Amino acid sequence: MEREESPILKPATLDERRKYYREEWDVKEIPEFIRESVLKREFGFDHMGRGPNDRYRVFRSADLLRKFLRYRAPFAAYSSVAFYDKPRRRDGWIKSELVFDVDAKDIPLRMCGCEGVCEICLNQAREIVCSLMDTLKGDLGLNDIHVVYSGRGYHIRVLDESVMKMDSDVRAQIVKYIIGAEVPHNEYAEEGVTYNLEHFSIPFGYPHVFTLRAKYSILHLSEAIQMEGVNQKLVKDAIKHQELIKNDEWGIFRNKIGPIRYQRLMNGIASLNMGLVDAKVSIDLKRILRLPSSLHSMVSMKSMEVKNIENFDPFEDAVPRFVYERKD
Amino acid sequence: MVRVAFINPFSEEGRQMVRELGNIKSLYEENAHLINLVNRSRSQDISDEGSIPHNHIDMALKRLEWYMKKKNDPSFDYRKYAYLLDPEITKFDVIAFYLLSQAIGVKFGPNSRESRAMVESQGKLMESRLGELFKSEKRVLVAQILNSLLMDEVKWTFFEDLLSSKKIKLPDLIIDQGNIILNKEDFMESFSSKIKHRDPDKMYNLLVGDHIKELIMTKMIMQKTENYISTVYEKSRREVEPNPLLLELAEEISKILSETTMSYGYGGSYGGEVKASPLNPKAFPPCVKTVLEGIKSGGRNDAIILFLTPFLSYARLYPDVFRRNVTMKVSDVDPQLKVVENEILPLVYGAAERCSPPLFEDQPQEKVNINAKMGFGMHTQIELKHEGETTWYTPMSCEKVKLHLPSLCKPDETCKKIGNPLSYYIRKLREIKGDEDGSED
Ligand code: SF4
Ligand SMILES: [Zn+2]
Repeated sequence: MEREESPILKPATLDERRKYYREEWDVKEIPEFIRESVLKREFGFDHMGRGPNDRYRVFRSADLLRKFLRYRAPFAAYSSVAFYDKPRRRDGWIKSELVFDVDAKDIPLRMCGCEGVCEICLNQAREIVCSLMDTLKGDLGLNDIHVVYSGRGYHIRVLDESVMKMDSDVRAQIVKYIIGAEVPHNEYAEEGVTYNLEHFSIPFGYPHVFTLRAKYSILHLSEAIQMEGVNQKLVKDAIKHQELIKNDEWGIFRNKIGPIRYQRLMNGIASLNMGLVDAKVSIDLKRILRLPSSLHSMVSMKSMEVKNIENFDPFEDAVPRFVYERKD
Repeated sequence: MVRVAFINPFSEEGRQMVRELGNIKSLYEENAHLINLVNRSRSQDISDEGSIPHNHIDMALKRLEWYMKKKNDPSFDYRKYAYLLDPEITKFDVIAFYLLSQAIGVKFGPNSRESRAMVESQGKLMESRLGELFKSEKRVLVAQILNSLLMDEVKWTFFEDLLSSKKIKLPDLIIDQGNIILNKEDFMESFSSKIKHRDPDKMYNLLVGDHIKELIMTKMIMQKTENYISTVYEKSRREVEPNPLLLELAEEISKILSETTMSYGYGGSYGGEVKASPLNPKAFPPCVKTVLEGIKSGGRNDAIILFLTPFLSYARLYPDVFRRNVTMKVSDVDPQLKVVENEILPLVYGAAERCSPPLFEDQPQEKVNINAKMGFGMHTQIELKHEGETTWYTPMSCEKVKLHLPSLCKPDETCKKIGNPLSYYIRKLREIKGDEDGSED
């Protein structure tokens, strides 16, 4: 694997876009969960590379959508997470997918420090997606979950009926739950006696989710990181004792750090976790998302449904053919 | 033995009590049985005749007054209401509950301060009553009620309403594979193998224990109360004449709410009262200043509609909202809607205008949403007759701003001390006033 030679993420030309939609793309690559609801969704397009300003598009069948993409070869294509009775007017809202947007460019604690996205941060994004999925399934019991590679990161799209009618407020709570955006209580009372119970000694429920996220964060800390209310010295100490966290020796870690500073560190991590997904996307019931199978022309990558996230590699699986044919 | 209806008026037993009530005229009649019960109640203060309910209507009003006074009156004396915590009162209490809910439903509907006070009072009453019971007694009762409220497996998604209204927070539930774990058997089955170095029994008691169960039960009954009020409201829209007796009672309810909040403010526990007064932009927090300058990138709509409109309207009309915690309507403070038209809307529209592109240029329909957020329904004009169709949206907390509109939040020193832009404003107002006062001498 000569990774140095991986395709440079440069924009696709109009010719390349046409070539892609005519020769390579197949309407069957649009995932079933979108194809079967084409009628109910709003579509949006970006023809010039200046943002999706051709919106409120509707298609009476998947075949008409196919034709449109073939002939227009847009710079970017999107479809709504919402289902409407009258998608043309974004009216008669029925329900919306529950979406989590993990953008490699925006995740906290990026190990690469690159400007846009690269293999390293994309892989980090993939790891984050895997752990979020575990929580969605194991804790929240959701099953109808699809992962889409967007070109710059991942979209987790949940289509369980039980969540699709939920409002923004509930969605905001789900986001916070799965990313660990709040430090769990550490005091629990019974019969007037208060017991101290840190999140790491509770191997289930939200405290456990938080422990997993905190573990990931601590193991990815670097000295340059800025955290609310956490000074340089505390970051350094946390890094010094990373090994303990790797072995799940949280109690010892907490003792080394000191309980008050530990609390401070956890608060910092909780607010850092807010960056794991773009919460705005999750709470927006009418958002449009990049259409899987379409071309992300800015980086010349395919957006696509990922069947097996455990070993998905965008640089293997999402590079369109024309990139290999480029001569320079 | 405490009866289920003492806690849950929606129980079969509770409904039966209402059915048995019979003649509605009797509601105003002196009820010797009731008076006797009250006088016999443990720790009841009987020295003041005025604190003894004489009939069903009295009883209903006292039930709500208890809550309002407890919350707002610094010299609240529980001995005047001790009978409310006495299980003997159950039958009268259930009737009082239905009278109040129906009166509020008919007259004010589910989005009113009256409805909120009713729902909250029901919550507090359940809490206080449970607190008086023996632990073993309470456990049995809660389990019994929960069983009737829930099916065997409870999906967390079933609590959508409670989550949306923030009556329950997701992290406070113990969820496994989508099910809320409430009873011990389920807990053991799901988690006992994972728990190390600790006693699973103990852990169950601490984490799922009685507390969560009571919370779920209480919240469910509160939600049922809200739903009930809303059903009554819907029904009364369709029917011709509401019962005059209920309307009369509704008037009395309104009076109690106004009296208790006006004469006692908010309990006097924190600093002075903050009255509605013209806005002072010098005291605005950084996030508000940012929006007022106009949003140049994305997120215009939310910044103007969800963030700025509630902030400005509460800051101008009802800055005390979080302390007093009593729902109000815009017209309670601004009856002619003059302030709204002359002070609040111009500021909001100005900020919308300064966005790029200007918000109303491409989305004039968003004006409707601004009206909606102030409680005036989805209409192009602000009109009193539509007030209450939507709720007057309270200002976002800092946490919410950071989550939904992160680009607005540029915290300064004062931000460290507050949790809501509105508290920032109040604090700053005081500081500024302090400075000015100081400079006078
Ligand atoms: S901390 Fe709160 S008040 Fe301060 S800028 Fe942020 S949102 Fe506004
Ligand atoms: Zn990178």
